[in-house]
Amino acid sequence: MGPILIHSDASTWINLLTGFLIGIGFGFALEQAGFSSSRKLAGMFYGYDTTVLKVFFTAAIVAMIGSQLLKFFGLIDMDLVFVNHYYPYAAITGGVIMGAGFVMGGFCPGTGISAFSIGKMDALVFLIGGFVGAFLFAETFPLIQKLYMAGYKGPVKLSESLGVSDGVFIFLVIIVALVMFWLAEKAEVKFKRPDITSEL
Amino acid sequence: MNFRTTFSIILIFLGILVALLPEQDNHAGHLKPRTLANFIGNTDMFITVDQVARMVLDEDSTMLLIDVRTPEAYRNMNIPGSVNIPLQQILNPDYEGYLNQPNTKNIFYSNGDMFALEAWMLATRVGYVNNFVMGGGLNEWYQTIMLSEFSGDQISPKENATFELRYKARKFFNQMNSLPDSLKTGFLLAKKSKERELVGGCE
Repeated sequence: MGPILIHSDASTWINLLTGFLIGIGFGFALEQAGFSSSRKLAGMFYGYDTTVLKVFFTAAIVAMIGSQLLKFFGLIDMDLVFVNHYYPYAAITGGVIMGAGFVMGGFCPGTGISAFSIGKMDALVFLIGGFVGAFLFAETFPLIQKLYMAGYKGPVKLSESLGVSDGVFIFLVIIVALVMFWLAEKAEVKFKRPDITSEL
Repeated sequence: MNFRTTFSIILIFLGILVALLPEQDNHAGHLKPRTLANFIGNTDMFITVDQVARMVLDEDSTMLLIDVRTPEAYRNMNIPGSVNIPLQQILNPDYEGYLNQPNTKNIFYSNGDMFALEAWMLATRVGYVNNFVMGGGLNEWYQTIMLSEFSGDQISPKENATFELRYKARKFFNQMNSLPDSLKTGFLLAKKSKERELVGGCE
């Protein structure tokens, strides 16, 4: 609960409990949105099911608008919100590997855990693969350290690099999201496949 | 109007609202005016020149002397061991490494009290802790340390100790202020500690 100003004096266990409850909510929402289905997840790349885009873009917009409103009402300190450090070459390389894994496996790490929790064996194998990958990364880190560290830019926010305020940037993201939602609807019609989930 | 249109209109409306919101200065560490007023009323912010002289001679690493005058005035003459952060630069993020250290006393001084007190106010307002002001500033230092003289027939041990302290401080002051600039600036860099960073993510 770090950045929430009115709770800055809450004890550690309250913070951890809140994190736990939010985690439960997140897993519940993922499962209810159907993200335990690898067909639904892979459908984002083939175009016949764009639920992933809609859900995650909506979640991002809710988070952005919510945090700005909380900041305006003095309830949140945005300086305490961690901004990921930007390693451009590592991000691109990791993104390509993750994208390939996502399409092939039909899961990403979060949805893999969500699927495993409802008993799917392919999710278990996917997660084991994920742990093996993380282990290999750690063991081979000295060899790839140069690529990992190349072009390090520090914790950069898109709004800062574009030279606009956070509020204006959020408005631009909303416009992009609405355009993407419209394109996603078009793609679903174009790449439609028969729904086999009821037969399984 | 179908759900998609309604949803899109609501999102655009919220986006415009958020884009037009003014910037807010909400920082967890910053003191609100009432808190600051209470703090001022209940805290002892002054340190005497004798106490500063003692800390300078002992090379006390738990204190940082900060000269808030202009760089020219600082180069001309300063208390040995002090760093120069002009008053207008107190809130410059480059100097946060010096000031935002919870275990170090920040002791501000200027020629008198006014600018040092202003620096104290700014530093306390943004949440830096352990801020003090050298009472009387360099004027008081000059009167007390530099012009310190013993007069009279007898001297008590306490007076003797104070006189000795002031004598050593005067000597040290004259020695350090006659050094060339290059040796003085090396000192400044050595004093800067690593800034505290926000920790999180995969770092």
